[in-house]
Amino acid sequence: MAVTVRLSKMPMRRRLVNTLTRVVVALGGAGVIAAIVLIFVYLLWVVAPIFSATNIETGLAYDLPAGDTLLVTTNETDEVGLRITRSGDATFFGVSSGRSSGFSSDLKNTEQANASVSDRSISLGRTLERVIEVAGHTGLYAAVDTDGAVTMLQASYPVAFDDDVRVIQPSLDYVFEDDWLEVEASGALDVYYGDFEVRIAKIDRRSLTIHQYRDAEPGFALELPRRGRLQLDTDYKRVLFGPRGQWLYLLGVDGTVEILDIARPTAPKSIYIGRLVPENRTATAVEPLLGRYSLLVSDDAGLVTQWFVVRDEFGYQFKSARRFELDTPAVRLVPEPRRKGFGAIDAAGHIHLFYTTSQRSLASADLVTEDVVFASIAPRSDLMLTAARDGTVQSYHLDNEHPEISWSTLWSKVWYEGYSEPVYSWQSSSADNDFEPKFSLTPLLFGTLKGAFYAMVFAVPVAIMGAIYTAYFMAPSMRRLVKPGIEIMAALPTVILGFLAGLWLAPIIEANLSSVLSIILVMPVGVMVCAWLWSRIPDGITRRFDGWYGLMVLPVLLLTIWIAFAIGPWLETQFFGGDSKAWFLENWGLSYDQRNALVVGLAMGLAVIPTIFSIAEDAIYGVPTHLVNGSLALGATPWQTLIRVVMLTASPGIFSAIMIGLGRAVGETMIVLMATGNTPVMDLNIFEGMRTFAANIAVELPESEVSSTHYRILFLTALVLFLITFAFNTLAEIVRQQLRNRYGNL
Amino acid sequence: MVKKDGLKLNAWFASGEPWVWMNAAAVGISIAAVVGLLLLIAARGFAHFWPASVAQLDVEFPNGVSGVLLGEIADRESLSANQYLESTGQTTEALEPEQAVVERWLIKTGNRRVAPPDFRWVATHYIQAIDYPENALVLERMEWGNAYGFLEAVYQDGELSSEGEGAWSDLENRLKRSVGLRVEIHALESGELNGINYALERLRLERRSLDRRGTVDDATREARLSALAEEENLLLASFQDAESRLRSLEESLARDSIRISTSSGQELEVSLSEILRAWRPNSMSTPQKASHYLRSLWIFLSEPPREANTEGGIFPAIFGTVMMVMLMSVLVTPFGVIAALYLREYAKQGAFVRLIRIAVNNLAGVPSIVYGVFGLGFFVYFLGGNLDALFFPDALPAPTFGTPGMLWASLTLALLTVPVVVVSTEEGLTRIPRSIREGSLALGATKAETLFKVVLPMASPSILTGVILAVARAAGEVAPLMLVGVVKLAPSLPLDGNFPFVHLERKFMHLGFHIYDVGFQSPNVEAARPLVFATALLLVILIIFLNLTAIMLRNRLERRYRGVEA
Repeated sequence: MAVTVRLSKMPMRRRLVNTLTRVVVALGGAGVIAAIVLIFVYLLWVVAPIFSATNIETGLAYDLPAGDTLLVTTNETDEVGLRITRSGDATFFGVSSGRSSGFSSDLKNTEQANASVSDRSISLGRTLERVIEVAGHTGLYAAVDTDGAVTMLQASYPVAFDDDVRVIQPSLDYVFEDDWLEVEASGALDVYYGDFEVRIAKIDRRSLTIHQYRDAEPGFALELPRRGRLQLDTDYKRVLFGPRGQWLYLLGVDGTVEILDIARPTAPKSIYIGRLVPENRTATAVEPLLGRYSLLVSDDAGLVTQWFVVRDEFGYQFKSARRFELDTPAVRLVPEPRRKGFGAIDAAGHIHLFYTTSQRSLASADLVTEDVVFASIAPRSDLMLTAARDGTVQSYHLDNEHPEISWSTLWSKVWYEGYSEPVYSWQSSSADNDFEPKFSLTPLLFGTLKGAFYAMVFAVPVAIMGAIYTAYFMAPSMRRLVKPGIEIMAALPTVILGFLAGLWLAPIIEANLSSVLSIILVMPVGVMVCAWLWSRIPDGITRRFDGWYGLMVLPVLLLTIWIAFAIGPWLETQFFGGDSKAWFLENWGLSYDQRNALVVGLAMGLAVIPTIFSIAEDAIYGVPTHLVNGSLALGATPWQTLIRVVMLTASPGIFSAIMIGLGRAVGETMIVLMATGNTPVMDLNIFEGMRTFAANIAVELPESEVSSTHYRILFLTALVLFLITFAFNTLAEIVRQQLRNRYGNL
Repeated sequence: MVKKDGLKLNAWFASGEPWVWMNAAAVGISIAAVVGLLLLIAARGFAHFWPASVAQLDVEFPNGVSGVLLGEIADRESLSANQYLESTGQTTEALEPEQAVVERWLIKTGNRRVAPPDFRWVATHYIQAIDYPENALVLERMEWGNAYGFLEAVYQDGELSSEGEGAWSDLENRLKRSVGLRVEIHALESGELNGINYALERLRLERRSLDRRGTVDDATREARLSALAEEENLLLASFQDAESRLRSLEESLARDSIRISTSSGQELEVSLSEILRAWRPNSMSTPQKASHYLRSLWIFLSEPPREANTEGGIFPAIFGTVMMVMLMSVLVTPFGVIAALYLREYAKQGAFVRLIRIAVNNLAGVPSIVYGVFGLGFFVYFLGGNLDALFFPDALPAPTFGTPGMLWASLTLALLTVPVVVVSTEEGLTRIPRSIREGSLALGATKAETLFKVVLPMASPSILTGVILAVARAAGEVAPLMLVGVVKLAPSLPLDGNFPFVHLERKFMHLGFHIYDVGFQSPNVEAARPLVFATALLLVILIIFLNLTAIMLRNRLERRYRGVEA
């Protein structure tokens, strides 16, 4: 009969403390798991949206005054919409309320413009032919009237606070003082404004005219234009400015395209003539993509193709990089204003969303209204507005946060604008707004593995061999010093290793490349010679030094390093023609960076040696002595015993040591950051640098905009790192637990 | 051992003896790397503060140009003739006939503003004569780095005060005066002015909060607002007063000036407000140099950095590192100890415990940068953002806690170092013999009482070991801190005289990041390098000291329990 402890007799307080302690301690234990799960789940939670599906939802229909719509657009925050009609009336309307009242509008320079102001709309006072978006400048529009005069308009949406209520007072202003430019445009035209220069190109069948207004300052009058003219061989019906106004795309009736170089607008020069669609097809719509590097072309077979200029050895080529297929031909293409995506409206009344870089077909939906005469996508790409022939305006909500990413964009080659072929590239940001971000993780993964590989090539032999000697041969009194000594190296901050590698070691290696390379040969040979000489000394003397070789070999190592540096200059002239770096470039095609994989391999190797050494040493040292003694008793030499018995038994432990070391090398940040150039190149060349996941995060995350695609991709790389090391560590831990069981059985 | 006489090479290889030597060499490499690294850092770091002699070099270049260089010899190296020509872009005319090796010196000539660059390589075969003039003067200036030259005259208010031989002692006396003035200026700036600015900012926030909240009725609001305005006027008045005192101090500091002549023959007028220290290394005795050394060391440890961190001291970095690790220890210790207690004392050994162990091992193995990413996303943006919205809406859109800072850095590193504490505590708990626990329980103590009165006190040294190791790890960690709170230059310390004294939301400086920043982001790497070595040395000493303490503690523990277990 067991003795029952009657806890009920204990004072309340003691019992309470006891229970409370148990609860708190149990919570603490669970807290460890909670922490690691939280890290994983949080990273996943940030990453998840980039793989979420795109949605199109039908929004409000707006009841605006009747009119033939030439433009509908919204402001930055999707609060105020603007419509301009053929009769020259501009109306602001509330996007979420659907009403056109509640704004007081004002047109500056009212008298000069001869425009009337009402409480909800403004009249430009002229009948308009069309309204187009100005190239090179988002948010500017050019209106063309029936007489061929052009003006540039800018809608602004200043926010004021009236009794703590946010009020937007939109206005539509002329950009330049002398509002209407009489350019006598009878055919098609396009307007570019950038770098304080306005360019207007008009095409009338075969004659092209370019007006160049220099020193264009908003709010001031434009100076008299300089004109350039060109007579062409074929008829063209449309003209579009290219990137930064340096090119002109001319589009013919039958799908021909001609590209002109107008770096000097007074002397345009043809650089390419070709076709956008096959002979038997016609182009149904052509629109430029953001930045105007690319043209999107839809044909009557339902194909939408992306074209851009590639410069190769044959000069300029206009290449079709990718295609999107539709069941029904697209009649209208709607580019996104801030990204390289676009919408397409087909003849059967559907909207489709696409993204070029990732070549994704994102979503489709039915149009609510028929006869769409105009469509646009809001600046933040979360709203689409369509205008029907009868004047009604309809909105569609787009849930389309991260279209530029797909699994294949992250890991496969992608054909970026202006590149002659698909490539792997990581280039996340640029000063340009119309820059196409390149988010291929492959170069980073490659760099991560490259760095880890070179580190392991150096660290594994040194650490494992060192562990063997320390655990198996070393005198105990020396081992007591050596083991903690090397383990202290694990505590050495990697920032110090990185600093020494980058600022001290890298210049030394660069100046003495042949010496450093010769160490690989000289050092083992030197040690061998020393061992041979040692074996010639009678046993009686040498036996006393058994177990102290590790210390005795130090002078030999220093001597070999000295020899290597002494023969370096001789090697340099003898084998490398006086310059080893040039020799490697000429003979093996290896270019040399000062901060390269060799430096990283040495520094990071040094950082992981203690980790591998310590665990491997424990595993070898833990091999039961009766196994060793048995082997020795059977007549095996110590070396045979080591190879056949000890190493075999300890191999799982050594494996786990290597895994943990690898995990550390993969995630090391500071050394890579400081000892390489951090260029995301894909080249195994040991004399070039790389960019790893970890270094990339350290460099880019502080500057990345929260919740942007870039931010989420950086979190994705952190998650990948987490998973890689998680796999290595869990594997190592499982192997180690099995090892523990095995030793238990022996 | 193996018989050696008449042994063939093959047999020798078969005996395994050469491989034993190779293994020994691997240990040798590791030892040499550890010792070599530490020696390198120590040598470079300690040497930085020793006042180097100022050499005057008569240089004649092959193109006939000759000149005089005055400065410290910062580095020496020898190159093969080829490398030398390549790196300098010269032709063989730059060499002596038959010359195979070129030795060159890096001369720190200072005077960055009048005669840049302040570092230049000179091949020794161009040097005609080396002299160490007794009266060569080194000036440590507020800006533009050191100046080297010869003291010509000392002026007071533009009037000549002394010239020639007597000028040096005159300058020394005047420098003592300016040191006193500088102390006063510093006290005024960091004490009074800083306090007033802080109070003004609080007034601004309170006014915003009154404007924003509709809860207060108009009358009380008006009353409060006028009280605030009054307070503000008082503060502004005292601000102006302090500022005028500051200005007069600064004027008084700029009273004296000196004229020096440089090696290139230029005359340079320097105000004493520009000069921090002046010394003549060539005429200093060894004890004088030693005292100069200690002074320099003290300045390095106690003063904030100047000149984009390339000069001055590293006090804010030391302070930030220490405060961050202290805060981190407070956070990590309970968590780590409780987790270890659960694993050893409370949990039934089984699948769940194995899972926890795998989690602990993984926490230890996850790259530190991943903690940084998690800390930035979860602590800073998620927790911090929500805290701001709840408690600091007046300061918005300027974030208070929704931006990297001390608290988040400590939390992130606490998470990172949990495994260290868990493993070490567990080790200590395993060592405590079962019999002791059973004894306590048998005497009627509850499990909690046994834990608090018997187990924890016995395990406390190993807990301490764990915390020390965690501190050592945290002090050296840089990558996550770059994301969650460390900056290259923090305007104010996270601890000061303004209520509530501890400002956990502030960004801070850190020794490790300082090394990265000064070594790699600094505009003048050459000038900053000795300082980086000194900082690295400090960090290494700190970390090795912590680790050795932990090891010693552990060894003592082992000895203590050997008695108990027997």
